Amino acid sequence: MPGYTAPLRDMRFLLNEFVDPARLRSLPGCEEMTPDLIDPILDEAGKLCSEVLFPLNRSGDEEGCTIENGVVRTPKGFPEAYRMYCEGGWASLACDPAYGGQGLPKSVAMLFEEMMCSANLAFGMYPGLSHGAYAALSKHGTQELRDRYLPKLVTGEWSGTMCLTEPQCGTDLGLIRTRAVPADDGTYRITGNKIFISAGEHDLTSNILHLVLAKLPDAPPGTRGISLFLVPKFLPTEDGRPGARNGVVCTALEHKMGIKASATCAMSFDDAVGWLVGQPHRGLAAMFTMMNEARLGVGVQGLGLAEVSYQNAVAYAKDRLQGRALGGAQHPDKPADPIIVHPDVRRMLLTMRAQTEGCRALALWTALEQDVALRHPDAAEREAADDFVQLITPVVKAYLTDMGWDSTAIGMQVLGGHGYIREWGMEQYVRDARIAQIYEGTNGIQALDLVGRKMGQHAGRYLRRFFHPVLAYIEARSETPAMEEFILPLSKAFGRLQSATAEVARRGMGDPFEAGAAATDYLRLFGLTALAYCWARMAEAALAKGDGEEAAFYRAKLTTARFFMQRILPQTGALSAQIMAGGAVLREMEEAAF
Amino acid sequence: MGASDRGAPQRSEERSVNQPRRHEAIRKVGVIGAGVMGAGIAAHCANAGVPVVLLDIVPGGAARAVETMLRADPAPFMQRSAARLVTPGNLETDLGLLADCDWICEAIVERLDAKRDLYAKLDAVREPGSIVSSNTSTIPLATLVEGAAREFAESFLITHFFNPPRYMRLLEVVQGPATRADAVATISEFADRRLGKTVIPCKDRPGFIANRIGGLWMQSAINHAFDMGLSVEEADAAMGRPIGVPKTGVFGLLDLVGIDLMPHVAASMKATLPADDAYVLGLREHPLIMRLIKEGRTGRKGGKGGFYTRTRDAEGKTIRRAIDLATGEDRPEARVALESLELRDLRQVAEHPDRGGRYVRAVLLETLSYAASLVPEIADDVASVDAAMRLGYNWRWGPFELIDRLGASWLAAALREAGRPVPRLIEQVGEGSFYRVQDGRLQYFGTDGAWRDVPRGEGVLLLSDVKRAGKPLARNAGASLWDVGDGVACLEFHTKMNALDPDVLAMIGRAIAMGKKGAFKALVIHNEGENFSVGANIGLALFAANIAAWGEIEGMIEGGQKAMHALRAAPFPVVGAPSGMALGGGCEVLLHCDAVQAHAESYIGLVEVGVGLIPGWGGCTAMLRRWSENPRAPKGPMPPVAKAFEMISTAQVAKSAFEAREMLILRPTDGITMNRDRLLADAKAKALSMVEDYRPAEPKTLRLPGPTGHAALSMAVQQQAAMGRVTPHDVVVCDHLATTLTGGPRADHTEEMTEDQVLTLERQSFMALLKTSGTLARVEHMLETGRPLRN
Repeated sequence: MPGYTAPLRDMRFLLNEFVDPARLRSLPGCEEMTPDLIDPILDEAGKLCSEVLFPLNRSGDEEGCTIENGVVRTPKGFPEAYRMYCEGGWASLACDPAYGGQGLPKSVAMLFEEMMCSANLAFGMYPGLSHGAYAALSKHGTQELRDRYLPKLVTGEWSGTMCLTEPQCGTDLGLIRTRAVPADDGTYRITGNKIFISAGEHDLTSNILHLVLAKLPDAPPGTRGISLFLVPKFLPTEDGRPGARNGVVCTALEHKMGIKASATCAMSFDDAVGWLVGQPHRGLAAMFTMMNEARLGVGVQGLGLAEVSYQNAVAYAKDRLQGRALGGAQHPDKPADPIIVHPDVRRMLLTMRAQTEGCRALALWTALEQDVALRHPDAAEREAADDFVQLITPVVKAYLTDMGWDSTAIGMQVLGGHGYIREWGMEQYVRDARIAQIYEGTNGIQALDLVGRKMGQHAGRYLRRFFHPVLAYIEARSETPAMEEFILPLSKAFGRLQSATAEVARRGMGDPFEAGAAATDYLRLFGLTALAYCWARMAEAALAKGDGEEAAFYRAKLTTARFFMQRILPQTGALSAQIMAGGAVLREMEEAAF
Repeated sequence: MGASDRGAPQRSEERSVNQPRRHEAIRKVGVIGAGVMGAGIAAHCANAGVPVVLLDIVPGGAARAVETMLRADPAPFMQRSAARLVTPGNLETDLGLLADCDWICEAIVERLDAKRDLYAKLDAVREPGSIVSSNTSTIPLATLVEGAAREFAESFLITHFFNPPRYMRLLEVVQGPATRADAVATISEFADRRLGKTVIPCKDRPGFIANRIGGLWMQSAINHAFDMGLSVEEADAAMGRPIGVPKTGVFGLLDLVGIDLMPHVAASMKATLPADDAYVLGLREHPLIMRLIKEGRTGRKGGKGGFYTRTRDAEGKTIRRAIDLATGEDRPEARVALESLELRDLRQVAEHPDRGGRYVRAVLLETLSYAASLVPEIADDVASVDAAMRLGYNWRWGPFELIDRLGASWLAAALREAGRPVPRLIEQVGEGSFYRVQDGRLQYFGTDGAWRDVPRGEGVLLLSDVKRAGKPLARNAGASLWDVGDGVACLEFHTKMNALDPDVLAMIGRAIAMGKKGAFKALVIHNEGENFSVGANIGLALFAANIAAWGEIEGMIEGGQKAMHALRAAPFPVVGAPSGMALGGGCEVLLHCDAVQAHAESYIGLVEVGVGLIPGWGGCTAMLRRWSENPRAPKGPMPPVAKAFEMISTAQVAKSAFEAREMLILRPTDGITMNRDRLLADAKAKALSMVEDYRPAEPKTLRLPGPTGHAALSMAVQQQAAMGRVTPHDVVVCDHLATTLTGGPRADHTEEMTEDQVLTLERQSFMALLKTSGTLARVEHMLETGRPLRN
């Protein structure tokens, strides 16, 4: 049977040694964020995840959600677990204290999110969607809407959704058909069909708040004519209780490859009462503020699944006795050696670990910059941090979810045939991981976002927030012998990324096809270089600790860093060659020949 | 035997036929009426170096007009000293000043009796044989000279300038049946060569060409905007990019010229045109427009705004509002979102079913069919009509060029579909077009069905004609090299806004190499873009800086310095021929040419500090050299440094070629051409005149003051900073500029420095500045807003 323990030691390392803890504590509202405060929160979060959520993961997958007359039931144990989640105050962790939240920084909340994704991704979907709705409403909603709905989302009493996709439009939201007609009382009437709506209907909360993209009658064509509306399942009464049923129903549940305990709904809106959120026709911009956060959240899903898969693969590799080490028996007392003695098994486990820990570092760095972007008193600092978050969001989403898929597949491989059968739980991680590469903008779209929008924004200003600090870091350590084995490969990858960036920008200006042709390889090159930077910094932090109390932890860090530099980062050479080869060959194939 | 001897035969040839060049026959000009037009015409004659008498009916009015013009922006004078050529006077007492004027231009109130009275007075004082013209825009010539003495009628014509006279290149000239041919020729040549105008002969019909068609277009655009329910923003956007009208569109243009002008123009057209003319039939009084006029909201000049208003809120932020044509209420300006207006192909726009497309179609049908129905009534040919609309209304394409873009047969079908008559000329063209290129020559379709070359003035050489006729000697994405005849090559920039990028630099290198191999004997650097060059491509530099590609940027600076050096060291003459803006790197190109022949409307300067940088392609070094070589500058190492520092640190831009000469960006030996169409020919002649015994300029050494000079400049900057005149980042930029111009920390005025040493300092300062966040923010702001950031 699989198990899960939150990687608390690594999380503390990142919070206190990888990033500068003073940076977080210098932010207004974060002055108290010392280990004394954070560690117990993470401990408790870890407990909730391993003891309450994790045990429901396999059963939830087996049972799935059911629908009967428009009523959706989540798997057994989910409503109770959700109640515990809310009662523990976990829903309000990173919310604004003005609405009853605890005001914790993203950099702490992100670590909790990772644990939930490891323990039970399908369960995590429900509060995750509420979070998106909370973000959109708190940023774009009127005071009245905020006062009425935010406290309910903060307690977890009500949940939220994001209703974007329609049968004829996924990526291209300009094609939306759902209509919104103004009513006399300042509200709107929403009519249309939405599909793939996560948490669209369920039995965890007493009300559900749908954030719906629709078109007003005078909407300009395309994406500039989309508006955002809030449509509650039950219209709230004056005293804030769910009142009359609104014209929105779940018509069907999708049957999917993974995250089966998450209700993926087809929703029908029929003259449903809605309130405008933000400006008319500016809905996509409003939606994007929550989409950016959601994309980072999806990246963390890949991370969480990779972590739990790694833990179980390690347990199995240490336990499973099979054959002998290539150089001779290492455990002659036992009938066979555990498979962890084999170089290829070690390669697999180290690959998972180096990627997972590297990605966790990148995700935390990003979360910290989000905190700076939100809270720093100096506008220039906020801008710089937000630039970085904008730039790195598609990288985090796509790289971390690709990594999640690769790692869970490797984890399954370590278990051999046992990985492929349901009992061990490893194949569920693979299935659950797959969707993260697809939703919230496919990873191909993320790559286009990176080269098409983020790269050229403000003549490359976003890029500055990555390239300048990384180059400064490399230059400052070029004379430190102990760091040489990390700095040299980092600097090589950085040079490749620099050349590729210049080349993709140059070609892309003349011919967008070229930018599109390079996009996915470029994003991967970017992700690897970002991870190399994180690993160099983690190695430096580990070197500083030397032979202290937890020498083994730091030694393992250094070894993993070395593995990343020696056995993963060289992929940048191949990616760089692929990028430089250009897109001609993609264009060359005639459509009919496919 | 020197150069003067070789030049002699040409001159004696001229003398032998004993015919002075016609434009030299105008030695003094009289302008009557010191309103906006009269004063502007007088100022522009002074720009040409011709003495002018400016008389006004109001005592002191002319002198005040000159004073006002010296403060005006855009400036009517090309240099302040030109104002000294204008003698102001009063119509009552100073009429005698006109006695020795070769040309008297009347620009008084548009009233027939007033004009006739004046002409009678003029006839009493003017020299026989002198030429008289009226700047009227509404009164037919025949009416003006009715009953005048024969000699007066023979000497009389209409010269219709456009506002502002210095800047608008169109001059409509109307002659009467009695007008002497040589009077027309003299004025036309003077206007062409000295005033730089394109002279378009017009028939004596109301509104001549430009205002007749332009007026109908405005009326049509206004009427349809009301009828079809477009907002003013939508109407202006529809007229802008799709049709090629300046971005003010129609309502923005009304705001600019004054909404109150409308009824006057309408009344005069109604009085002079037949009642069944489309112009008269379309005349309407829109209550909203009449209300605006009544309320004194006549546009930008009244201060109350017009269709658009701009006010500032408490925080000083600009609030833009526009009037709702339906309700007459002001509301916030709105962004235009019409699918039709995103299309590039004009026909697709006009066929689009949304209100933008229907509007464009309606206005085009009306305007273009009207234009087609007026040839040959108002002008002999379509080419004249197109030129008049391009130069008088700043349209990108004239009406017949627009018809070609739509297709004449498409227009005919669309007119029939709309139940409108199809003008004969359009029937005549049938499936064909109004323009074609035949054997490399641009030709237009004549009213007799024959093709004729689009006329070019005598001696005019246009690069576009050269390009039409042949293939370039060399070409890449940023620049091309053309053979412009007689062994002269022309280097043309053709990047966006003619920004200088690695492609352009590579082509400079290629051109120099080809010239060294004898492919040509002189090089002209010229293009027909709106601007000669706006400088180095800072977008590329910023992107490279953002990804910390410092080596690449340093390579770009060094490459630029090498290219500039190659221009100067080439074993053949290189002549720069700018028109429009030549900023930053564009200015540095000119500073490294052996000679410059500049269009008078050239705006040149080293503006790098605006983006937080300093000139890095030898601009600092070149200005130090210019001021050191200037015989009038005070002696010692400091004055050249101080002069160069003043000019570069304030990003001073010459507002004309004459001002550039005052700033030593142009040398006294550099030439100025008034007519843009003659620039290339003049530059080519200048280049050819330098070919014989050409020796490239030797590198000079400089004596620079070093740290003491730096301290003096820093002190001056600190004083400015204390007074709040410079920003914190200005101080940083000025410090690097001062270091470069004073020769760096080890310089000493007792020792000579090489140009290479100063160039190294330029590079170092440039790189250091590009690594500051203040400079990166400035570059980004300039790229995104087109305005400098004051950080």
